[in-house]
Amino acid sequence: MRILKTVVAFVFLIGLFILLNNSQGSIPPLGKFLNPFAGFWQNGSRLDQIEEVLDVKGLRQEVKVVWDERQVPHIFAQNDYDAYFAQGFLTARHRLWQMEFQTHVAAGRVSEIIGSKALEFDKLQRRRGLLMAAEIGNNKMNEDPDSQLILQAYANGVNTWIENLTPATLPLEYKLLNYEPEVWSTLKTALLLKFMAWDLTGRNSEMDLSVIRSALGDDFVKRFYPVHTPRLDPVIPSAKPWRFDPLVADEIPPPFEPQFVRDLRMNEPDRDNGSNNWAVAGKKTASGFPILANDPHLGLKLPSIWYEIQLNTPNMNVYGVSLPGAPAVIIGFNDDIAWGLTNAGSDVMDWFEIEFSDETYAEYMYAGEWIKADLRVEEILIKGEDAYLDSFPKTRFGPLVHFGKHTLGNGHPVGLAMRWSAHEPSNEMGAIRSMNTASNLEEFYAALETFDAPGQNFAFAAKDGDIAIRHNGKFPLRAEDQGKFVRAGRDTTGEWRQWIPKNQLPSISNPWQGYVSSANQNPTAKKYPYYMGWDYDDYERGSRINDRLKAVNNTDFYHMQQLQMDNFNKQAQLMLPLMLKQLDSEGFSGEELRILNDLKTWNFVSDPNQKAAWVYKQWWLHLEKAIWEDELTLYGELRELPGRSVTAELLLRNKKNKHYDDIRTPAAEDRRTVIQNSFYQTVIDLQEELGPYGESWELGRARGTNINHLLSVKGLGRTDLFTGGGVGIVNATKKTHGPSWRMIVELGDSIKAQGLYPGGQSGNPGSPYYDNAVDGWVRGEYYNIHFLTSPTVSGNSKLALTHLRNYQ
Amino acid sequence: MISLLITLVLVFLLQLLFYSWWWIILIPLVLGYFEKDSVSKAVLGNGIGVFLLWFGMSLYQWNWGGEIIVTRIAQVMGAGSGLVLALATGVIGFLVAAIAGYAGFSLRKTIIKEYQIS
Repeated sequence: MRILKTVVAFVFLIGLFILLNNSQGSIPPLGKFLNPFAGFWQNGSRLDQIEEVLDVKGLRQEVKVVWDERQVPHIFAQNDYDAYFAQGFLTARHRLWQMEFQTHVAAGRVSEIIGSKALEFDKLQRRRGLLMAAEIGNNKMNEDPDSQLILQAYANGVNTWIENLTPATLPLEYKLLNYEPEVWSTLKTALLLKFMAWDLTGRNSEMDLSVIRSALGDDFVKRFYPVHTPRLDPVIPSAKPWRFDPLVADEIPPPFEPQFVRDLRMNEPDRDNGSNNWAVAGKKTASGFPILANDPHLGLKLPSIWYEIQLNTPNMNVYGVSLPGAPAVIIGFNDDIAWGLTNAGSDVMDWFEIEFSDETYAEYMYAGEWIKADLRVEEILIKGEDAYLDSFPKTRFGPLVHFGKHTLGNGHPVGLAMRWSAHEPSNEMGAIRSMNTASNLEEFYAALETFDAPGQNFAFAAKDGDIAIRHNGKFPLRAEDQGKFVRAGRDTTGEWRQWIPKNQLPSISNPWQGYVSSANQNPTAKKYPYYMGWDYDDYERGSRINDRLKAVNNTDFYHMQQLQMDNFNKQAQLMLPLMLKQLDSEGFSGEELRILNDLKTWNFVSDPNQKAAWVYKQWWLHLEKAIWEDELTLYGELRELPGRSVTAELLLRNKKNKHYDDIRTPAAEDRRTVIQNSFYQTVIDLQEELGPYGESWELGRARGTNINHLLSVKGLGRTDLFTGGGVGIVNATKKTHGPSWRMIVELGDSIKAQGLYPGGQSGNPGSPYYDNAVDGWVRGEYYNIHFLTSPTVSGNSKLALTHLRNYQ
Repeated sequence: MISLLITLVLVFLLQLLFYSWWWIILIPLVLGYFEKDSVSKAVLGNGIGVFLLWFGMSLYQWNWGGEIIVTRIAQVMGAGSGLVLALATGVIGFLVAAIAGYAGFSLRKTIIKEYQIS
């Protein structure tokens, strides 16, 4: 009996141990997690404590770090190695989990952390060749001694931090997910850079366009998916002449009709990953000095996408934001210049349908012959299960991303290969480093020579008075519309053969107008001799920025802030008068009349307290759908709609048009009826979602903004933020997307700068510095940036100093 | 009372040095084994000792820099408040330690009994 009791007690105890020591689904291992000596209880704000002296193994000389009131580290090192080492060390201190997790996502290694539910995602990531691209990039970057030093110093710094961790100081998310950090390597930085390239260039509408073309014809595509959209105000002013002899792309035959692309749209980056930047010449500023402003729009997450930092050595003094996981400053300024980025949007990814000889995928048809494909084998480790081996063929068109489901009429299997410029070897690290130390436009442009992917519009301003903008990246030479549709890989006609020479890329410096700007619109007007893509953002943001920059003289920080926070909805200004004119209010209910009245008196400013702003937005979306849903629902899915400006043009110019008619109904709809019906439908939908017309319909409440944690864990994000702005508005804030870093720099005798981002320096959800800037971001309250010239803190109560002491 | 204090101090020191949560199994198991007097001492002494330690330590962490993290985790785990979270931490500690204490105690009894029979 006693034995039995003992056995039962031990069985129970062992069971309890197993239960509490392991994750149960999404529940963390409670024994470990609740342990007050090492569990989440330890992840409080005490981790923010600033030490006066830290012994750091691996430094070459002593490094001084000044911390400001927002915990931005200002690193003063005596040599480059130590500067980047300290950057790695301190970034890991604040952001280790985030930087490592993002590289796991990029590499397709999420199954290692959360188990087989991420296997399909991991497979797709590998087949997209992100890991492959990072390996190629890592090799290329490590060939250059300068880049190698930077990357290795950074990695060493991160690893020194990891070695210093204890079970108690491990970041919270490791405890939640029950795993530990691994050694950092230069490959991880390469992965992060490729991940960013994917986020900014990975969206591709070729499959949809192929489906649309085969269903609705060439003319439909030409008319509704044009290269130059109505009202385009291009990045480079249309008047600029192009004085060079362009390369001529080979003619290509009409696109073929791919058979198997109907169901291939998944996990693509957000359409509105974009940004604003501009530079204003001294002749238009109050101080007489040039001003540069930039706000990159990305998916908003916590921990924040960016990490603010200053790096100072005897030959460098640079400030700005870095990507946690990559050394140097991506967007920022130094003693002489400032620069900002927006996504180029030019097409750097093409899809090819490849025919294979049999199920082994060993050979594919190219130019009438069977060519051998390289097989790449990927081992995907899965938490708690055996590893999964995946393999995919690599073709001259890139990795075969989608295959295994379809065969051609002749029985041959077929798949889709992805040609992507980020698969090419390139050294962005070297380019970024050179930008950080450039002191004039010439040096800055020289730095851009090795910046290939992702393509960006680089706005520039310098202390010597220069302003400039350049649409820069590695862009394939294309015939008109090449890359708009999926092409056949069996012939040579869609292949990339050459690149547009960098010195022929769209760029302009010191234009007479006194400013340059970009907002992801088409970089050039029709005169530019190269075709670079068509799927750019619409005109509204770019045009609004240019309107305001044109009008302004004596501009200053305040004006620049106002412009970044500008909520004017240009699209509504264009369309709402027409829509209201078409609306017949006879028979409207009291509530409908109130809504109508608010729309009539609305000033087109999408401030957070505006009900009309949200009603209009929804009305427009309903209207677009009413026009296009019938034609563009193909194979069970609503395909890429024409751009806003294209639909707007259709409505403005045509009272009657066959596209207004919903072919699924017996009635023959015209402009008036689609507008009327979509208004009714909008009101019905919003009433159902938000209740009676009132406060809950305000833009900031009905939409607002949620900044979720990277893992979307409820309680670790900031939700229901009262924000205005929106798509096509300079303040491009949306529900989960928006300006991720706002920066304004004036390049005078001393540099003045302001910044703002929706988060904070710390990645620890238990720190006040995790989200301390969120409320200011919502209200547009910028902070003054401390651009320090020396590590002196005496007399400034906002600053604190840490000595990182070399310890062997 | 003394057994409670021994548990508390021993687990405290070991966890401070070596962090692992399973000290709240190991120590009560050993102390339970050497508890000669009564089963209730083995169970409650260990259980309450660890409860007080874990609950107390949670409150300490909560008050010294843990305000934000505790509020967030309470939300993540649907615990309502930090106090509930601290109590849950203490109760889990109690359960584990009490069972371990009992298992240790019971093991010794079994061995003695077996020894006497043979």
